[in-house]
Amino acid sequence: RTMADALSDAGDLSGGEGSQDDVMTPAELIARLEEAWLNEKFSPELLESKSELVECVMEQLTHMEENLQRVRKGDLKASVHHMEIGRIRYVLSSYLRSRLQKIEKFFPHVLEKEKSRADGDPSFLSPEEFAFAKEYLANTEVYLKAVALRHMPPNLQSIDMLKAIPEPCLDSFVFLRVKERQEKILVEPETDEQREYVVDLEEGSQHLMRYRTIAPLVANGAVQLI
Amino acid sequence: MDPSEVEFLAEKETVKVIPNFSLDKIYLIGGDLGPFNPGLPVDVPVWLALNLKQRQKCRIVPPEWMDADKLEEIREQERKEDAFSPVPSCHYMELTKLLLNHAADDIPRADEIRTLVKDIWDTRIAKLRLSADRFVGQQEAHARLDNLTLMEINTTRDFLLDSLNSMHKLRANLQPGKSQDY
Repeated sequence: RTMADALSDAGDLSGGEGSQDDVMTPAELIARLEEAWLNEKFSPELLESKSELVECVMEQLTHMEENLQRVRKGDLKASVHHMEIGRIRYVLSSYLRSRLQKIEKFFPHVLEKEKSRADGDPSFLSPEEFAFAKEYLANTEVYLKAVALRHMPPNLQSIDMLKAIPEPCLDSFVFLRVKERQEKILVEPETDEQREYVVDLEEGSQHLMRYRTIAPLVANGAVQLI
Repeated sequence: MDPSEVEFLAEKETVKVIPNFSLDKIYLIGGDLGPFNPGLPVDVPVWLALNLKQRQKCRIVPPEWMDADKLEEIREQERKEDAFSPVPSCHYMELTKLLLNHAADDIPRADEIRTLVKDIWDTRIAKLRLSADRFVGQQEAHARLDNLTLMEINTTRDFLLDSLNSMHKLRANLQPGKSQDY
């Protein structure tokens, strides 16, 4: 097998996102990852986990890296592939890292949301993130007990993490670009003197508004946070 | 978001290069590139164009809008209007910086272009400050921001969003019953 054959196989892999088995090209896969990255970076709360997407991208990267091992060093083509891999890896780790940061910041709420999730609803955490969040909660509790709580009077020795840790502020403002036209999005007034009103979000237009109003549109992909 | 990350996104834009080497098609994960033939222009992402240029393997063809006469028109338009005029590229600032820093010898009238783009940027950022001030002052809840580029949004993001969120918290606390724990 020549390197060209080996590398062109990368084009045949498909990745299924969600329950419907839509076939995505690797290029679409990378585009989806970049969208998820920016959405996660800018949304105040932890978004739905995209474990399948992450797995598919990882698969692409491993496959490409395996092929590249058979190529001699200094090959121009290989160096271009290495650069591309570096860029994709950057997006992937930045995406996962911003999720971990949110998990560390909101762990009790993230776990609570996961607990109250109905069977069949998409999970907000990948299995690894779920394990991380649980361990983070346990460690925080142990730590607080060891350094402070056990020295407190008995009636003050318990702590409710859900109350102690701030919730994500869904009223934060965000910047967004519209991917699919939306009609009659309610804008709540900022002050008592103002009235609520509705706006239409034209495809391709950009807006500044509160996250709470458009959170469902981020989840279903109709708008992109920027 | 770090400005270098906005630049990272800008590096995905395509630009024409004239290679001085031959190479078959490259099958990247993000799509195919090439084939490369000496002297024949070919489209590549900016990150690759800059790398090839650094290795002296190509000449970069500047994008059509990166032209002193065209940019001068855009500058005048931008200065005349109160609203944001359409920009020639949604990454005009980053691309100008990247291409002029790494391939100035391939771009005619590079110094003029640098000044013109800086002027356009300054005019737009001044407008952006004004409208952000108005937005906060009038306590608006929604703004449409067409024609603003990601780099421009990014320069005001932290300051503007933090102010808006602080104002929102202060107001929420004024209304008894609606207040929340933050």
